Amino acid sequence: MSRPYVVAQVVARLLWGPSVVVAISLIVKGYTDVGDGFAAGVVVALGLALFYVALGASAAELALPFLRYAPRLMITGLLLCLGTGFFPLLSGEPIFSHLPEPGAHVATVGSLELFTPLLFDLGLFLLVVGVLTVLLHQLAGLKGVAEDLAVPPVDDAPTGGRRP
Amino acid sequence: MNLAFATGAAVLFGCGAYLLLHRDLFRVVGGIALISQAATLTLIASGLTRGRAPISPEPNEPVSDPVPQALALTALVIGLATLALLLALVHRLTVVLRTARHDELAAQEAQHESRLEPDRQRDRDEAT
Amino acid sequence: MTLLATVLLVPWVAGALLVGLDGRRRPLAWSAVAVLAVGLVLLVALTVRVASAGPVQLVTGGWPAGVGIVLRADALGATFAVVSQLVLLVAAAHEAIPGPRARSFPGLVVLLAAGLTGLFLTGDVFNFYVFFEVAMTASYALAAYGGRPRQLRAALVFAAVNLLGSFIFLLSVAGTYRITGSLAMADVADGVLRAGANAGLLVAVGFFVAFSTKLGLFPFHFWLPTVYAGSRPAVAAILSGAVANIGGYGLIRFGAGIFPAQLRMAATALVVLGAASIVYGGVLAVSRGDTAELLAYSAIGQVGYVLVAVGVGGPVGLAAAVFYSVVNALNKALLFLTAGLRGPLVAGAFVVGALSVAGVPPAAGFVGKLTLFRTGVAAGSPALVVLLLVGSALSLLYMFMNYQRQFWRSDPAAGTTVSPLPRRALVAVLALLVLALGLWAEPLWQLSQQAADLFARESG
Repeated sequence: MSRPYVVAQVVARLLWGPSVVVAISLIVKGYTDVGDGFAAGVVVALGLALFYVALGASAAELALPFLRYAPRLMITGLLLCLGTGFFPLLSGEPIFSHLPEPGAHVATVGSLELFTPLLFDLGLFLLVVGVLTVLLHQLAGLKGVAEDLAVPPVDDAPTGGRRP
Repeated sequence: MNLAFATGAAVLFGCGAYLLLHRDLFRVVGGIALISQAATLTLIASGLTRGRAPISPEPNEPVSDPVPQALALTALVIGLATLALLLALVHRLTVVLRTARHDELAAQEAQHESRLEPDRQRDRDEAT
Repeated sequence: MTLLATVLLVPWVAGALLVGLDGRRRPLAWSAVAVLAVGLVLLVALTVRVASAGPVQLVTGGWPAGVGIVLRADALGATFAVVSQLVLLVAAAHEAIPGPRARSFPGLVVLLAAGLTGLFLTGDVFNFYVFFEVAMTASYALAAYGGRPRQLRAALVFAAVNLLGSFIFLLSVAGTYRITGSLAMADVADGVLRAGANAGLLVAVGFFVAFSTKLGLFPFHFWLPTVYAGSRPAVAAILSGAVANIGGYGLIRFGAGIFPAQLRMAATALVVLGAASIVYGGVLAVSRGDTAELLAYSAIGQVGYVLVAVGVGGPVGLAAAVFYSVVNALNKALLFLTAGLRGPLVAGAFVVGALSVAGVPPAAGFVGKLTLFRTGVAAGSPALVVLLLVGSALSLLYMFMNYQRQFWRSDPAAGTTVSPLPRRALVAVLALLVLALGLWAEPLWQLSQQAADLFARESG
């Protein structure tokens, strides 16, 4: 960035905490109200996008060190989802069965039930955050390219413009 | 499906189709994004129902249909992933070819065609 | 049941692990090949089980069929899954021998295998859409393999056209849910029958357009030459031998299985479109100077045969469609892989592929053409038989022209370097497979007939 966007940087840092809290609340209330792991992941990714846009890729990764592990996060999330879905195979049940069976007793924390679909949602959350962070990291590299490309303004006139 | 949703989907599709026909690749990608959103809107509009959320309904209450909502959510996720892929592809194309206008890409294809010309000339010589 | 779930799990987990690692290293590329080989063995075991004991079904979560997602392996899905996995295995090995050029190649091929396997083995319309998108996303990324401008342009055209096809497919799925209120394929078929032929016509047309775009049939073929000719040979083999199978499978499963009344209404139109495809592909292939473009137009022609067979329908037509799809996938994979290599063994393999496309014994294409002739006779139409003969003659012509241009003439500009032996040996093995299938076609023919019988009972 050639000019620091001070307001955007401050807002990015301030908004990070609340966006994580909103994401957690979406996962927690997602079984009795609107919400799921995907929406939570996108909310966190929006907070991260603000970091990337306001600070640039390298400064954002300095501010939030866990971003360097985004590919590993992504693969862990996917494997968690697949594991949760396919582990009933070990006991001969159909895949994607819930572990405390529908109707059986389940441990709860407040209104949140601790059962295997919760693990699936967490895996999905990690997957979405990881994928969108990798994407933001790749596209944030565009900054260096744009300067030496010196692309002239695109002329979309139907008769065809000319490059100056 | 009522008129408002149908008009909305039609407008989205029209804008997307208009953008698709532009020369700049980023606008083409924007057009594809709008078209996929038009499909999602049609999906929601074709499954409109009134009623409570189907979590634990009373026996005689109308319940809204959860399936189109799940379909629309899945379509949105898939649209996100494909849009991300398309953007990465256009980025790579821009970097490698140093242009985002697809008539210049076509010019490079024409260069490749002209490199095939000697082979075709040999075919014609052998036939006569 | 566990076999069906395992066959989905293995490539998915392996693909997830492989994309995180650097695929340019040989051990990783070969471990991807090993995973595909394991998947192939499991799929063959599943096919044997399905052929002897009937379809295998699994509903996720143990819920009843309308609530949970139905996964179903029957003769049709298992056949297509085996042939696609085989093509992916050969193409992955082809690239693993010298080492992949991109770090994501092995992971992408394995994830494509996961998507295709799920697609062929699912019994739920929306689950089909999800696996369809998984497979297509992996193939959009694969189309850019190689990184040159031609490959990037091919990937962009491929992605743009197929995203529009997916858009139409999603609209058709929405329409299907609206008409029938269900998403499991068996319930949808019943619902469409109850709703009457006109209600489902627009939805059936939407599905037809989406699958024709995938296959490259006549009015929707415009993207095919750019993509098949612009991508690397291994990727072109994957696209024409594995990904195009989605179109063939979809035409048979959705056409004959879910919308049989609409298929019968449109039979003449389908046969005419297929005939146009055969003639268009054959005539344009004769005029091409570049091997890869010639093979692309040949692909347009060959899939026209599948559409003609689906249009004629009935047990004979559907069995011929399945058989010819399998033969065509193997032919195209063989021909595209030989396009990048040089040497006498490669020339022999090309000859086998060329004979198979033209329908000359002892290659597998002869049995395929024979089943198609039987379809034409069963339809009672001499015009159809003449058309098939003309198509075969055109295929023989352009294949011979290409053989002459590529292998017979001594080209001082290209030099006399022969490709490395392992790659030539791989292509020779695939050619032997095509020959073996031509000499011993019974198992595949029985599978095709079992697949066609699935629909004979329903359309009555």
